Amino acid sequence: MNEASIIGLLEATVSFGALLYLAALGEMIAEKAGILNLGVEGMMAMGAVSGYVVALQTQNPWVALVAAVIAGALLGSIHGFFTVVLGAEQVVSGLSLTILGIGLAAYLGRGSVGRPPGAELVPVDWGLLSDIPWAGPVLFTQSPFVYMAVIAGYLSWFILWRTRLGLAVRAAGESASTTDAAGHSVAVIRMGAVAIGGGLAGAAGAYLTLSLTPQWQEGIVAGRGWIAVALVIFGAWRPGRVALGAILFGLTLALKTRLQTFGVDFSPILLSMLPYVLTVGVLVAISIRSRKRPSPAPAALGIAYRREER
Amino acid sequence: MSRPILIRREQVLRGGQPLAFGIGLMVALVVGVFLLLGSGHDPLRIYERMFEASMGSPRAWSVTLNRAVPLGLAGLAVAVAGSMGLWNIGAEGQIMAGAMGAAWVARVGGDWPALILIAAMLSAAIVGGGLLALGPAVARAHIGVNEIITTLMLNEVAIRLLQWLIHGRWKDPDSQNFPLASMLTDNAKLPTLFERAHVGVVLAALMIAIFGVAASRTAWGYELRVAGSAGATARYAGISLERKILTVLVLSGGVAGFAGGIELSGNSDRITENLSNGFGFAGIIVAALALMRPSGVAAVAVLFGAVQIGGQSIQTMGVSSSVSTVLQALILFGAIAAGVLSRYKVEMDVADVQPSRLASGKSDTTS
Repeated sequence: MNEASIIGLLEATVSFGALLYLAALGEMIAEKAGILNLGVEGMMAMGAVSGYVVALQTQNPWVALVAAVIAGALLGSIHGFFTVVLGAEQVVSGLSLTILGIGLAAYLGRGSVGRPPGAELVPVDWGLLSDIPWAGPVLFTQSPFVYMAVIAGYLSWFILWRTRLGLAVRAAGESASTTDAAGHSVAVIRMGAVAIGGGLAGAAGAYLTLSLTPQWQEGIVAGRGWIAVALVIFGAWRPGRVALGAILFGLTLALKTRLQTFGVDFSPILLSMLPYVLTVGVLVAISIRSRKRPSPAPAALGIAYRREER
Repeated sequence: MSRPILIRREQVLRGGQPLAFGIGLMVALVVGVFLLLGSGHDPLRIYERMFEASMGSPRAWSVTLNRAVPLGLAGLAVAVAGSMGLWNIGAEGQIMAGAMGAAWVARVGGDWPALILIAAMLSAAIVGGGLLALGPAVARAHIGVNEIITTLMLNEVAIRLLQWLIHGRWKDPDSQNFPLASMLTDNAKLPTLFERAHVGVVLAALMIAIFGVAASRTAWGYELRVAGSAGATARYAGISLERKILTVLVLSGGVAGFAGGIELSGNSDRITENLSNGFGFAGIIVAALALMRPSGVAAVAVLFGAVQIGGQSIQTMGVSSSVSTVLQALILFGAIAAGVLSRYKVEMDVADVQPSRLASGKSDTTS
């Protein structure tokens, strides 16, 4: 185990952590407004393919990123329409969205498999900062997506906990009828939250195809959408804790391909179970604790709101 | 200013769900036409081929029925939990766990008589699926841990456990560098029913029938519905919610595990990580379309089996199988939308309508 390989591990941890964080933030925002969206895997796939295909067409990575965000937001809005407007079961609609997104992505990307990328979002050069030993390569030569994830994390905290709009969003997730009575439209808030959440998942997908891999192939999301869903719970619906969880889960993803080079005799497959097992553990701990303290989960999460049935 | 709103119908339209399903299918097929035109194919020829490959001959039917088995059992697993208002979205992992149980027995009992070996494999499959559901069941029953997330997480754990076994102690020494499990012996394979169909079709139909009767004709099924819709009432009537939750979730896992055992013994040469190709997730759609009723599950599963088999068959015509994946999701979305219309009607909401009339959900201005 030498210095370079440890730096490589930390660098990959931050990259994977940011990937998971972007998607998890989106899910967190939707859940804060009361909508559970299990379609993250599908929205990420659509973001990934849209980014890649548009990059091939335009050779402009930023246009590609915008396309990926829009694709994710559109898919998220489908979930919003069905769960908010039609009052469909959130679990069923979300899982169907995953199937729809993965299928559509495979359809749209069928001509792009194996083609060299049209454009990439290359690592940012921070000048002197990038030359600092350790911190330079780990923190200051990352893809723009990493810095976007940090900004998105801060913004979501600020908006959700420091503005009136954020208060209304959180209220919609705690008690929809109260929010309604206070004069806010629960439907608009929830639709907006799910669409924004979809946009962030789309951006996470684009991180894969515009920066990390950068290639398109079916199954590229590879279960990371489910880790994002887990992260929201692991981080108790708080952006800061979700960020810590993202680093931890990012570390397990980064370690997976490196265990052997570090000479550790442990199955990388068993290691990759860790995020899911930890999340179950946290969920159990939350439930035991919530007998004394209120659960951090939004109280109205997963419950459809119909004004007439108030 | 006026905008459309949904008003609850005083009576749900009769025959609404089959109608909604038909509309969903139509929506999916129409969107499919555009997808196929978009990839330069003749939609009518493709649909004809899909129909022929899935329902056009006894052989086609046999393949479709084989596929309907895991879809129907996964759907049943979801419906069993759903009848009590619980969500088991871990069927995908439980199918794997069931297959692992069956594969383990097949390794141990390679020289047993076929009948005994298969019976033991399928029993182990039920136990395997039930075991995977046991954790979430206990956690939900006694600590109140949300079963949606725990069952979902265990999907990922189960598939990795299987990968670990295939890469490690279950690896076939003859497979050289490929991580492949050993081949099943012939006595571990389900007998054939007709053409390609295996006996698992009958076993699955029996299982669905048993649960169908239990759900609608027994006190047990009635208690489940009461416990699901009104927990306090159930407690008052002396029904133990904890025990109900525990048994229902474990049974649900066992049913999904059974699907894994049949899929291994009836449809595979060896256990692989692709054994359940999203059957557990498709099962949730199947159960939702069947409104969590076992009788409906069987019918929807056959239709979904046909869509999947038809989708595979058109790959030889250069059509991506993703088209059939999209069709399956669209059937559900179309059916949900249509289903809403059987329970609600759309009206224009005039801004100055009195709130009380909206709240009561009744409107005297329209018929």
